[in-house]
Amino acid sequence: MDRCKAEEEMKGLEMSENPLIRLLDVSKVYHLESGDFTALNHVSLDIMENEFVAIMGPSGSGKSTMMNQLGILDVPTTGELHIDGRNVAKMTPLERTHMRRDTIGYVFQKFYLIPLLSAYENVEYPLILRYKHRDTSGKAAAVLKSVGFDEEMSSHRPNQLSGGQQQRVAIARALVNDPKIILCDEPTGNLDRKTGIQIMDLLVDLHQKGKTVILVTHDPKIAEYAHRTIQLDDGRVVAS
Amino acid sequence: MRDIFFDLSVRSVRLNFMRSLLASIGIVIGVVAISSMGMLGANMQLSVKQQLSSDVNTVMISSDVVRTTSTAGTPSTSQGVTKSQLNDIKNAAGTNVVIPIHRTNTQFTIGSTNGRGSIYGFEPNDIEKFLTLSTGDIPRGANDAVVGSNIATNFNLVVGSRIKIGPPNTEDRPTVRVSGILPARGFASDGINTDNAIFVPDTWYTNQYGNKDVYDQVNVIVKNVDTIGDVETAIDEKVNRKTQVIRIADASSRLTSITQTLGTITTFILAIGGISLVVAAVSIFNVMMMSVTERVHEIGILLSIGTEKGEVRRMFLYEAFILGLIGSVVGGICSLVIGYSVVSAMIGNTAYFFMPDSIMYVPYGMVIGIVVCVISGLYPAWKASNMDPIDALRSE
Repeated sequence: MDRCKAEEEMKGLEMSENPLIRLLDVSKVYHLESGDFTALNHVSLDIMENEFVAIMGPSGSGKSTMMNQLGILDVPTTGELHIDGRNVAKMTPLERTHMRRDTIGYVFQKFYLIPLLSAYENVEYPLILRYKHRDTSGKAAAVLKSVGFDEEMSSHRPNQLSGGQQQRVAIARALVNDPKIILCDEPTGNLDRKTGIQIMDLLVDLHQKGKTVILVTHDPKIAEYAHRTIQLDDGRVVAS
Repeated sequence: MRDIFFDLSVRSVRLNFMRSLLASIGIVIGVVAISSMGMLGANMQLSVKQQLSSDVNTVMISSDVVRTTSTAGTPSTSQGVTKSQLNDIKNAAGTNVVIPIHRTNTQFTIGSTNGRGSIYGFEPNDIEKFLTLSTGDIPRGANDAVVGSNIATNFNLVVGSRIKIGPPNTEDRPTVRVSGILPARGFASDGINTDNAIFVPDTWYTNQYGNKDVYDQVNVIVKNVDTIGDVETAIDEKVNRKTQVIRIADASSRLTSITQTLGTITTFILAIGGISLVVAAVSIFNVMMMSVTERVHEIGILLSIGTEKGEVRRMFLYEAFILGLIGSVVGGICSLVIGYSVVSAMIGNTAYFFMPDSIMYVPYGMVIGIVVCVISGLYPAWKASNMDPIDALRSE
């Protein structure tokens, strides 16, 4: 698919003029010993500000690769990825790092809290990265409270917290720099059903407050929370 | 409030306490080796220098006899060092001790026995500036004299004995009274061979031999032997301005040679100490690489949520610095104890141990220990900061 064709396809999708995220004919090819593997195959799509999008697909369909692209942990092999109006491929590594820090909040399936820091410090950490000093404004504590985290537990290390508590801390960490985009990779995958529902309610609440929420899930019931579902298969968007 | 990356490093060191401790022990050994060896070498040098300094800290100045030789080949009598040259020497020598000396050879008679020896004319108070009497006192009266050990022994002289100065059979020979006796000195590199000499006040000497304001030799006793070259240069520039009128000599080359040899030995033993620090550096490198390997997943998290590469590097360099700091502080303290024991056992004299030239090896060793640690942490820190966050997150 050439670029003109992709652009025509984009027009056909009747997307708005200023999407928060735009993938334009994006492909990601991994060069393996066994040969090239195309994880994303000429994907074009727009995600608007304040959308709640679920990305679904079978294993190997390219969901994780898509999340890595959207989280600017990786860059496309071909095509263009625009986030918040900027072409990711044309940004320096430091600019990408700053965009990850300021524009994107990442919530992982396995929480991925920093084990050596307390719950509070994990939430404070992105603020320190951004402002280069410890948080004296009380923002970290406020965000932690806003996700329903018990304040008394804030000095506990991640290994002293339950899965639900860890995910609340992870969401608070993702939110603390007030990013436009919340990327959630199977956010309820490691939680029981009840805690999973609580976490999804949190994400719905964040969406209602104006955040753009993108989540990857296998679970159709979780995907029902989203207003739009992007179906991937074999590295292609098959439904959007 | 502390840097969070420093906090992370401290916590990592605490978390892997035993491993960190073992790595730091390597640094402790390295710092102790370098500091102790350095202090041993420095104490050897200081001790030897002190022993030799009493002999070689004297600049000998005499008239340039070669220049006073006439072109016709007939040797003319040296005029000696004049009063004005002496004043120039004093000005150039600064606070160092300047001793003008008259000297000649003479015959003398003690009782009925004749003898021959040197006779020196000194300002009496100058004698004690470089000689120590074994018996008696410096000349207090105009006719008092101090005698060397050989003369005293050979002629059975005691304080109060009388010596007639001048050739036998000479009428009205002046007589001096022995006021003090010098111990044996042997060959002296300052040109004052006391054992066969009689020391008289300079007024007595010039009354007998004339040449009141002309001196056969001027000795400058330098307080700090390390500055002897500077003093000589200053005197040379002051007195030998237009033409060379005085000769300046010293015995410092012997000291220089010995201290150079000791310096080489010190460098050699420091290098041996340095080997242990190299071993410690390998140990720190290994620990840091293990730390990076164990924390790949954590590094992935840090990078994925917006930590800059420089911040990740800083975190690991802090860790290396902390290991180095712990090792160096403990090593520095141990160096004081072990170094003192080594110096005491090998030199038998710890008088110089706390002198700056010796004790400086402790901070010197500590700084080297820390620097070696940080250098050892450079590659692991670089490796950590350049990880692909996706691969790092997958490594769980």
